[in-house]
Amino acid sequence: MRRLPKLPTRWINAPAAIILIVALLVLAGVGIILQNEAAYRDLQEQETRAQADILAAGLTAALDFRDAEAAQEAVDAVRVNRQVRALGVYNDGGALVARYGRDGAAPPGRYAEPFPAPGDVISAIVPVISRGERIGTVYLAADPEPLSRRFTRYFIIFSLVLMAALVVAVLGIAQNALRRANRELEERAEALVNANAELKVQVTERTKAEDQLRQAQKMQALGQLTGGIAHDFNNLLTVIQGSADMLRRAALDDAKRVRFAEAIVQAASRAAALTGQLLAFARRQPLRPEIIDVNELIGGMTDLLDRTLGERIEVRTIISTEACSVEADRAQLESALLNIAVNARDAMAEGGLLTIRTAIFDEPQARRMIALSVSDSGTGMDEDTLDRAFEPFFTTKATGKGTGLGLSQVYGFASQSGGDVRIDSTPGAGTTVTLLLPCNGGGGDGGAKREAESYGGIEQRRAGRILLVEDNEEVGEFAESLLGELGHKVFRTRSGEAALEAALDSVYDAVFTDVVMPGMSGLELAEHLAELRPNLPVILTTGYSDEIARSGAGGRPVILKPYRLETLAAAIDEVLRVDGK
Amino acid sequence: MKAARLLLALALLNAAAPVRAQAPENAVKAAFLPRFARYVTWPTPPAAGAPFQLCVVGHDPFGPMLDRAASSELIDGHNVAVRRMNTADRAAGCQLAFVAGASPQDTTRLLLALRSQAILTITDARAGPQRGMIHFTIVAGRVRFFIDDAEAAGRGLSISSRLLALAAGVRARR
Repeated sequence: MRRLPKLPTRWINAPAAIILIVALLVLAGVGIILQNEAAYRDLQEQETRAQADILAAGLTAALDFRDAEAAQEAVDAVRVNRQVRALGVYNDGGALVARYGRDGAAPPGRYAEPFPAPGDVISAIVPVISRGERIGTVYLAADPEPLSRRFTRYFIIFSLVLMAALVVAVLGIAQNALRRANRELEERAEALVNANAELKVQVTERTKAEDQLRQAQKMQALGQLTGGIAHDFNNLLTVIQGSADMLRRAALDDAKRVRFAEAIVQAASRAAALTGQLLAFARRQPLRPEIIDVNELIGGMTDLLDRTLGERIEVRTIISTEACSVEADRAQLESALLNIAVNARDAMAEGGLLTIRTAIFDEPQARRMIALSVSDSGTGMDEDTLDRAFEPFFTTKATGKGTGLGLSQVYGFASQSGGDVRIDSTPGAGTTVTLLLPCNGGGGDGGAKREAESYGGIEQRRAGRILLVEDNEEVGEFAESLLGELGHKVFRTRSGEAALEAALDSVYDAVFTDVVMPGMSGLELAEHLAELRPNLPVILTTGYSDEIARSGAGGRPVILKPYRLETLAAAIDEVLRVDGK
Repeated sequence: MKAARLLLALALLNAAAPVRAQAPENAVKAAFLPRFARYVTWPTPPAAGAPFQLCVVGHDPFGPMLDRAASSELIDGHNVAVRRMNTADRAAGCQLAFVAGASPQDTTRLLLALRSQAILTITDARAGPQRGMIHFTIVAGRVRFFIDDAEAAGRGLSISSRLLALAAGVRARR
């Protein structure tokens, strides 16, 4: 993470507007105080003058008749006003007649124009007029209001202004803080965006690295798988080749011949099972679902299991009477069960108990399922092993002993059938593998019906003209001889294009074509024929085809390689029978 | 001899003192007389343009001092004219009258004669105890006056309270 840019922590200058407002407020306050002061001074001057006027009016007679005592009495009456500092009454000659001075102050001794008044007082000079004649002068000097009193008076204005200024300042500071916070937020957001971009780059790099790692693991796994398969296949090929060599010998009695032929057939079917497992794991095996009674299937497998697991392992089955039938590929289900059982056997090297159980699995949100669980009393798995149990090519067995595809096949089969697999295991306490398969709503009759039909087909066997399409020379030759053995007339082509030409040239009862070929594929050929010769049935055959796994065979029968004689015969008979109707 | 001379000097001093004091005293009184008109309201004030008439009835102690004081006086546009007479017969038209008979009895007689008219009568304690509406006296060496407001009211005259405030004593109107 990038470090955030350090924000300035010192006080950022308040905006000019706030300073201006505060200044205006203070100015207004000062203005109000000054105006108030001036008005008050005016008022005081007026008051002083009024007082002097009143005094002057009362003094006319005293001055007229030179009655200094009377004048002094009138002057003394003013004493009550504490603001009066000095007071002088002058006659028409300018002589001081009566006086008053507070705190050592005194009026000037004589009155003469111009009369200087001290600056720090509020003074009034009023003539004493009697019947239109000036007979004297009153001089009155008053103290301005004391500073403390004025301060008290202006304190309210001052505090109001101060408060207003404070409010504005606080608002300004708050706004400033807000702005700063905003800016900080923006910077943070920007930093976040940068960090995010950086993170994205890192994620991309990481994804790339992971991809590389995965690829490496894949290659490693592929190597492991290839090794395992090569090992298995070599064993089987040894048997086949050895048996075939023996069959070539002229001096061989019939019993031995049959035994070697049988060995070849068994080895081949084991090899077929092996490739079938590979394809099932790849989930590219076209499933042939049928309705299966699981309990019945288990019952039918107990012998096989007993044989496979050996004498030291006891097999016990606990069958639920409520168990429903499922729609699944029988061979795959059997294979899955066998795979689990073999794993269980390997986990119980010293022998033990294997329990196969069926039960109805009802979860509120899920559809109704059957739980087929296989428990052993073996070594169990630790957490790491459990985590990787379904991983393709992962095996705990020694090289050559296992392909690492057993549980992968189980998983592939279960998910392809709409079910699930769960493993519960405790080291030392055994493992339970539960296969969950959705119940079939229809019931168990469909499978039986289909079987009956196919059996009916075999009985109505008839010969026909078969167009064989196969690019592989060996397989083509083999198929041709097989079909010929079955009594059909075979015309063989080596590509889809040639087959299409042949089909247009003459009449055939059926087309038996390989799917994967250079140029026109078997499926394309079938499509073309569906347009040009809609009544010509097409049987597809393949070891594995991406196309069929992806989009299906379009309702056409598919025979999987390696196929047996009976399978081929049944499929051909079926199309010929349907065609013949 | 020496003592006799000293006594003579003292006697001379004593005799001279009242004369010297009396001259400014009379000047003050002469200045006061026309001014009283400022503080008195008559039932019939003088016609426009006509002067206030200040009459000296009997003995005149002021002489030209009074003429000077009167000539400098201007009251609400009226001048003050001084008339001198020995009897009260010609007093008609006077607003103010300084009455000083040859004897106290004479003064009383003159005052009585003036009572029938709205005239502010002024007397002096130096001339005798008989009192007019305003009666000069000396208090602590200063010229003061008593006012008989009751008598003035009887003649229809109204004296300003400001003047009353200056009086050494007032006989208040009922």
